Amino acid sequence: MKKTSVALALAVASFYGSWAHADTGKLLLTGGVSTIDGAAGGGLTPWAVIGSNATEGEVGASAFATRVGTQDYALTVAGVAVGWHDRVELSLARQDFNASPAVALNGIAPFGVTPGQHIRMNIVGAKLRVAGEAVLDSDTWMPQIAVGLEHKTVSPGSLDSVLQFLGAKTSGTDVYVSATKLFLAPGVLVNGTLRSTNANQNGLLGFGSAEPGRNQRRLVPELSVAYLLSKNWVVGAEYRFKPNNLEALGRAAGLGSALAEDNWKDLFVAWAPNKHTSVTLAYVDLGRIVPGITSDRKQTGYYVSVQFAL
Amino acid sequence: MQKFLIAASIAVSCLLATSVGAQTSMSGSLATPTDASLYQALGERPGLVRLTDDFLPRLMADPRIGTFFNSGNQQRIKEQLVEQFCMLSGGPCVYKGADMESSHSNLDIRKSEFHALVEVLQYSMDAQAIPFGVQNQLLAKLAPMYRDVVTVK
Repeated sequence: MKKTSVALALAVASFYGSWAHADTGKLLLTGGVSTIDGAAGGGLTPWAVIGSNATEGEVGASAFATRVGTQDYALTVAGVAVGWHDRVELSLARQDFNASPAVALNGIAPFGVTPGQHIRMNIVGAKLRVAGEAVLDSDTWMPQIAVGLEHKTVSPGSLDSVLQFLGAKTSGTDVYVSATKLFLAPGVLVNGTLRSTNANQNGLLGFGSAEPGRNQRRLVPELSVAYLLSKNWVVGAEYRFKPNNLEALGRAAGLGSALAEDNWKDLFVAWAPNKHTSVTLAYVDLGRIVPGITSDRKQTGYYVSVQFAL
Repeated sequence: MQKFLIAASIAVSCLLATSVGAQTSMSGSLATPTDASLYQALGERPGLVRLTDDFLPRLMADPRIGTFFNSGNQQRIKEQLVEQFCMLSGGPCVYKGADMESSHSNLDIRKSEFHALVEVLQYSMDAQAIPFGVQNQLLAKLAPMYRDVVTVK
């Protein structure tokens, strides 16, 4: 993680150094912020916008760091994205999930989970804008539409034995379609994303499940609404439906709803003091995350993210 | 892999359905019939003259796009901007200047330069204390012009 952070800091420094005078020309905040998976969008769900400040005929880049903290867990993410001609976006993100409560799984079976275990996940993302112009087509209903994929590889450490018990694979690929529209006159942005996924908790608990859990992909919708308070400030909300692949397996093993997974929600405020910087704060409700080891608590908490873009 | 392909094809068909729908039903106009309320909110003709008096010098001073505005007759450009803003905002004016397509077709204008103009206009509207909601209503009238103004695609 430290090496990733250093590499990111160097990357950001070199972007600033070499491209500080480059005229990348998007309007403020119209490249979105960075999702936890690295793609440009809201916080929890990708949008059809292409990341960075680069518009047609330009190449831009962005780097971000995000921290999410709830009652029992914490997630730290760092990543970079490149936007090419406002058409193609490539992104890389690395997640570090503090799964300390998982040591309690040793009480269920001899899984050999080490105390303070972290789960790490790398995400390679690609997105292609296929139609529309989210901001300037203010006289039509036509949204900006993009297709994307997120290839995720999870390193569960000593939780590998648990993933094997669950029958969950350690890599998977989400495929999505997003439509984003800014209704410019009222200052309201709407995004809808449809994702095909078999990920458990976004992939942190692997992909798919042994019988009688669900191993197949599902199509799940994700919605975002944002309201422009000014050029520099946006507030909004997101709702991301999630599959619940593992709960049935947990029930069959006599664990009740110990493995239940819920939909994700957040309320956010984003601030862009200038075209190169944005800060996003959010209240997140991630529902239950392996409630069998966290007293059936819902995981709610903070989300803070900083992005630099050129 | 097979499941992945199935999922990918579902995603692609959704996309196709969406974009076909978009071309038929969603190309419907969002443009609201303009009454004079936006024109009034902008301070009518005196407000638009003040806005343009602020806007054109800012455009000329902008390192990204100043060159497009430095050569012409300033008084004439201002008058045309006032006429255009007046007409777009529902005021009692008829814009008699050249249409956006023919007046920009011989220029090389990139999308980032169109964005730069929007930014400068936002600064001018801020300087004139035009409320953000009113600014966005005017920008919503101007933004679709990018289709004719941006010549380098």
